[in-house]
Amino acid sequence: MLIRMEKKIDLIIRSLGKGRSTQGAEEVKGAGVLDIMTLLSLPDHLRRTALTLIKLGRAMAEDVAKETGRARAIESAYLNQLVRMEYARRERVGKRVYFTVEENVGGRRRGS
Amino acid sequence: MDPGTVLAVHSYKGGTGKTIISTNLAAILSREGRNVCLIDLDLRAPSLDKTFGVEGEKFWVNDFLDGECEPSDILFDVSTGRGLKGRLLVALANPSMEAIRATVASDRKGEMRALRRLLALRDHLLKKLAMDYIILDTSPGLSYASINAVAVADLMLVVATWDASDLAGAQGMVGELYSMLEKRAIVLMNKIPRQLLINGSTKRRLADQFKKAFKLPVVDLIPCYCEVLRQERSTIMAFERPKHPFSRTLTGVAKRIEESEGLSAGGPP
Repeated sequence: MLIRMEKKIDLIIRSLGKGRSTQGAEEVKGAGVLDIMTLLSLPDHLRRTALTLIKLGRAMAEDVAKETGRARAIESAYLNQLVRMEYARRERVGKRVYFTVEENVGGRRRGS
Repeated sequence: MDPGTVLAVHSYKGGTGKTIISTNLAAILSREGRNVCLIDLDLRAPSLDKTFGVEGEKFWVNDFLDGECEPSDILFDVSTGRGLKGRLLVALANPSMEAIRATVASDRKGEMRALRRLLALRDHLLKKLAMDYIILDTSPGLSYASINAVAVADLMLVVATWDASDLAGAQGMVGELYSMLEKRAIVLMNKIPRQLLINGSTKRRLADQFKKAFKLPVVDLIPCYCEVLRQERSTIMAFERPKHPFSRTLTGVAKRIEESEGLSAGGPP
């Protein structure tokens, strides 16, 4: 029952998200690189979610909510916003939805 | 909740004494029975290798951040022969010109990976190795490496000096960067001209002024000790001259940190 309700909330948030961005945050598509400077440029509410996702690596909205102390549905909305901005990836495994930071990672340029 | 504390020692300008303060705090806390890991994150100007010349190092912090080795490859136990009640581990940054060039040329993707690796190192040290403290000796100002360190830290120790531009810059860092990343912070004033600290009341008045300026607790004001500045890099004051006022002041700072982190100061670990 609870899972069905959560799914519904997810759907509602996603459909709302299509129409307008969350909390008026400007939704700019990133280049998939969620480095610290990008984090600092995010609005406060998204920064906390993004930093938590970086810390956890791969997480469900519920895991992020436990860390931030905010509601699961709120975190789900913010995580989906990060996905639309191309900073995070969304993956469904059965009934669960996992989020990860984009793995488009390069490296330090080595000296000769 | 994490079992230990990540303390990042940071400043706006270089030459404020971050490295000597980080090293001595690590020494004092491990002497008091805490398990401490000191990490050199000043990748553009590494110096801890001069203090802890560990033999046969194979990997550096740089290698770990680049994903080329495991945490255990960069950690060296330097507790032996120092009469410590706790453990003291160090992770050193590569001082070679090639490594510094690679750091300077690092791109956003590399820095993103460095942040994730730093978070993984934090987990390894606090959860697997049961460290009580990780002390990050950061690079000054707002570089990628120093902001990554701020992101990973639980508590910031801002080291500032009696210099108008340093004070203004440090205030900006605290007011903007630390609050954006929701960090707790305390301030340690270093290299204060001795004539400004002639007695207890002038020292308290000055401390109050700094406290108002930073809107943060000021843990202490350390006078400029020429003899400390003249010491060789390999000298750790807290070990070699524990009764020197500099060592005693930092023992007090360590006690304040222990109190703020809820650990009993000087008590059993």
